[in-house]
Amino acid sequence: MTRAALVIWVLLAATADETVVRPGESLAQVAARTLGNDRAGPELLAFNHLEGTPAAGTRLLLPGPERVRAVSAIASARSAIGQAPSGTTRTEAEARLTSAEGLLGQARYADAAAQADGAWKLLADARQETSRFAVAVEPDGRTRVAVQQGVPVRVEAQGRTRAVRAGETLTVARGDPPGAPLSESSRAVASEPPQLLTPEAGLKLALDPVPGGGLGPVRFAWKPVPEATGYAFELTGTRNRSLRTAQPTVTLPALPAGSYKWTVRAMLANGTLGQPSARALQLVPSRIKLEVQEAPWQ
Amino acid sequence: MAVCLSLLCASACRRDGGTPPPPAPPLPVRATLGPVKGTVSIKRAAGDDWVAASAGTVLHDDDKLRTGSGASAELRFSSGTVVSVSEDTLLGISETRGVPGRGQTDVTLLRGAVDATLDRPANQSLTVGTPAATVRAGREIVFQ
Repeated sequence: MTRAALVIWVLLAATADETVVRPGESLAQVAARTLGNDRAGPELLAFNHLEGTPAAGTRLLLPGPERVRAVSAIASARSAIGQAPSGTTRTEAEARLTSAEGLLGQARYADAAAQADGAWKLLADARQETSRFAVAVEPDGRTRVAVQQGVPVRVEAQGRTRAVRAGETLTVARGDPPGAPLSESSRAVASEPPQLLTPEAGLKLALDPVPGGGLGPVRFAWKPVPEATGYAFELTGTRNRSLRTAQPTVTLPALPAGSYKWTVRAMLANGTLGQPSARALQLVPSRIKLEVQEAPWQ
Repeated sequence: MAVCLSLLCASACRRDGGTPPPPAPPLPVRATLGPVKGTVSIKRAAGDDWVAASAGTVLHDDDKLRTGSGASAELRFSSGTVVSVSEDTLLGISETRGVPGRGQTDVTLLRGAVDATLDRPANQSLTVGTPAATVRAGREIVFQ
């Protein structure tokens, strides 16, 4: 090894991130742990100029920002191809994307990024469409991105990237990664208030006392909302409860007798809440316990 | 010889004493204000005061712009990208002192809303940073 090569090797070893293969760890597991992709094992080997499964204790260099750029460019190209109509341009772009993915697998990051960018540019040139989008910072610190027209916009947060296409909206809370964007139609559906089923409106619900105190169980139910990822349930009144559920029902084992209001809102894929539905409820005991004391004169 | 020496000394003395330093290189223009409506003000990167802005005002790295209630402004970047600034908005231009690890953005939106238009997204790009995310539109900057 020449002196220059030795210096370069030392510099690389000193600056690049490294990992050590753990006992019993497969190549796929190393790739999943370090690159977030269990199929990136061959790429990791190529980056380290190795062949075969590395033994436990093997020190592996990890790629840096050049891989992030290549992965980002491939994601952009894939997103643009997903939007493009079929035709020769799309076919050519798909071929370039396949080439880019192959180059990524060989750890040739600059070449992979250039191929992916070429695919993206082919489609963008073909569309010749103006890109329009809006970005807003809500008073609570959340960021809302709405794309009106043109090629997808990329939203990055907490190391994760999402493509937002024309007609879609994405909201990101501070400290959270971006969720799935919502289309105009799904947003309209998901933001509708849930239709409450039971207990019925204005009902005075008579329930048996349960051991330990209170009345119950109390079951709340509503119709599922399409596109909802879950529901935010809130009970206020004599006792307050607030919880999230994936199902369109909530059962509370016991509640004190009294007056309540229960509210349900659909949770959307991007973390926002839809319109609320609320209903009043009164809980009364079904059996009144009578205690007759003996009169002192008897 | 003596004359030459005295001339050399004189020129050297002029350089060493009291000559004003060469002017600082002009700051690169990042964006120019288009039409403005209502109260629109800017704060220079090196300044502490907000001053009224008007159409044609040029903006440099780390300058800030804010719009009042009912106000609006238009930012025109040299790439041709146009950013419409809504009312009650506060933003920074090409902040070089942004969030670590996030890279430089064209616009850092701290409050309010902007609408962006890229006529040639295959050749233009715009990066908008916010407290929660980074929004990238158009071609990846690295490939331009």
